[in-house]
Amino acid sequence: MNDAPTRWHATSSLGRSLIVGGLGAALALAAGRPGLVVLVAPLLLMAALALVHKPVVEPRVFSTPARQQLHEGQGTRLRLETHDLDDVEHVTRMMSPQPFLAAHPVDGVFGQLLSRGEAVAPFEVSPRRWGTRSVGGEKVAMTTAWAGYRWGPVALMGREVGVLPTVTHVRSGGEAPQPIGLIGAHRSRRDGDGTEFSSIRRFHAGDRLRRINWRVSLRQGTLHVESTRAEEDTAVLVIVDALADYGESEGVGGAASSLDVTVRAASSLAEQYIGGGDRVALRVLSPGGEYAGYGTGTRHLRRILILLSRIRPGIPRDVAIDQIDFRATAGTVVVVISPMLSEPLATATVRLVRRGLPVIVVDPLPPGSTPSAYPGSEAKVAELAWRMRLLDRSHLLTQLAAAGCPVVPWNGPRTLEEVLRRLARRAAMPRVGA
Amino acid sequence: MTAAARSRMVRGAQPGVWALRGILVAGILLALLAGLPEGRVPPVWLVVVLVLSAVLSAFRPEHLAMAMTLGVVLVWWAFAIGDGMPMAALVAAAGLTAAHVAATLLGYGPPSLPVDPRLALLWTGRGVLAWLAALVVWGVARTYSGHGTPALFWLTGLAAALVAAVVAGVTVPVRGEGEGE
Repeated sequence: MNDAPTRWHATSSLGRSLIVGGLGAALALAAGRPGLVVLVAPLLLMAALALVHKPVVEPRVFSTPARQQLHEGQGTRLRLETHDLDDVEHVTRMMSPQPFLAAHPVDGVFGQLLSRGEAVAPFEVSPRRWGTRSVGGEKVAMTTAWAGYRWGPVALMGREVGVLPTVTHVRSGGEAPQPIGLIGAHRSRRDGDGTEFSSIRRFHAGDRLRRINWRVSLRQGTLHVESTRAEEDTAVLVIVDALADYGESEGVGGAASSLDVTVRAASSLAEQYIGGGDRVALRVLSPGGEYAGYGTGTRHLRRILILLSRIRPGIPRDVAIDQIDFRATAGTVVVVISPMLSEPLATATVRLVRRGLPVIVVDPLPPGSTPSAYPGSEAKVAELAWRMRLLDRSHLLTQLAAAGCPVVPWNGPRTLEEVLRRLARRAAMPRVGA
Repeated sequence: MTAAARSRMVRGAQPGVWALRGILVAGILLALLAGLPEGRVPPVWLVVVLVLSAVLSAFRPEHLAMAMTLGVVLVWWAFAIGDGMPMAALVAAAGLTAAHVAATLLGYGPPSLPVDPRLALLWTGRGVLAWLAALVVWGVARTYSGHGTPALFWLTGLAAALVAAVVAGVTVPVRGEGEGE
């Protein structure tokens, strides 16, 4: 005999049929009413058949771990590893409801009539918003034939899954204003070993013979070569404003809050520039102060996406925003993704512009979004305060534009292309010395 | 959860769950009022009390209230049935069985659990099979009515119960029998 405590217990269905059946039989016997036996005979038969199917084996159930990382909108299957289901006729799985976690079946609960040897069907889940989500927490109950005994419900723990923001794969069409690196896809102002035509000039010692343009050389009587522009990489610093989250988030495919737009824009930009061979750094203004130094390659992109998924909005406690050293070297393209509702951040942005860096502000504030007011505060007062903040913001944006910092609303991965082209043209213009 | 998916639930329960709740209440009322054509009329207060407790049981099918409701119906029939074996007893048995089966199906999960058609079909078959036991008892009692004394019926029933208990004792497995082998 196994003395381990069992999770099998009699169901209310068995108890009811025994109680009512027993009561009917007792009344029939005591009061001499044989007709009552007719009434309770079905219940007594069902109780007897339920007792016959009393389970002898304890099932073993394990939830298979979900993937450690998923992207928003990506789906995964939560399987149940089961053993010793010989006595089980029906399985009920009920998933704990989680915010921003869509499930199929949609109500997060399903029952399955098991045939012998049949596996329990999986749940399909899909996180709808970046961040850290608990996936796989559920309750499992099993029932024997004729519903006499039930195992559980047993709670299975879920696990924390990092949900990375969506990445839109778009190759960068914009050119960096001041590329200074050694490799990459941006057209340099210098001639070099690239593919884009620059000019035809006289042959110099050291020029490659395959660069000779024979037609021009014959016409001119001296050797001429085609020169090309060098191709260089640039450094991109993405500054993410996570001081607050404005608007309501409904996850992927629904309404987006300001922080949703910010995080998705940052991930798209990082993917776009790293894919083009540029070095990308990330600085998040939040209590966590997430930072990734300049780097390139798939691993670096993954690191940036993980940092973005860990963002918790709030004001950094240990550092003043206008005092932060953003570690932006000369030639670095700085992209500030911020609704510009913080004056210190606007000050820090202007400081970067005055250092001669190409700075672009991406505005992630969705139109019509409002902040969540403190509970108990008057709606009219909150609305008035928000309107005043919006006026401040519009004033700040005007000042930024006047300082030479373009402000563009986020409109997909190609948002920056036109702005970068304008900045590149401006950088290529001849300057008058002071 | 999408809006389209949400719309399947009606007031916090699946449509199938509402149907089962309806069957449960209807089954209890059928069991109570099955004697009406034969002149067995229950008092109004009893009907009201049973309707209320049937509705409560429909929302709490695992609660003891369900067993008590069925028990009250039995007590009413103990007064109403007399010594006879009326046809109404079969209808009342069908009502009790339907209510019990509906409550059992509702007990498989929360109201958000859709009713599995395969499971519902399985339990319909089981309910009909169980009701056949009532038909057999009724038929045997009607066939042998006047051929034996009531004491003989009771002795036969007791013997059958004893045989069933012995068979069950032999066939019903004990926990642990299948383990560690």
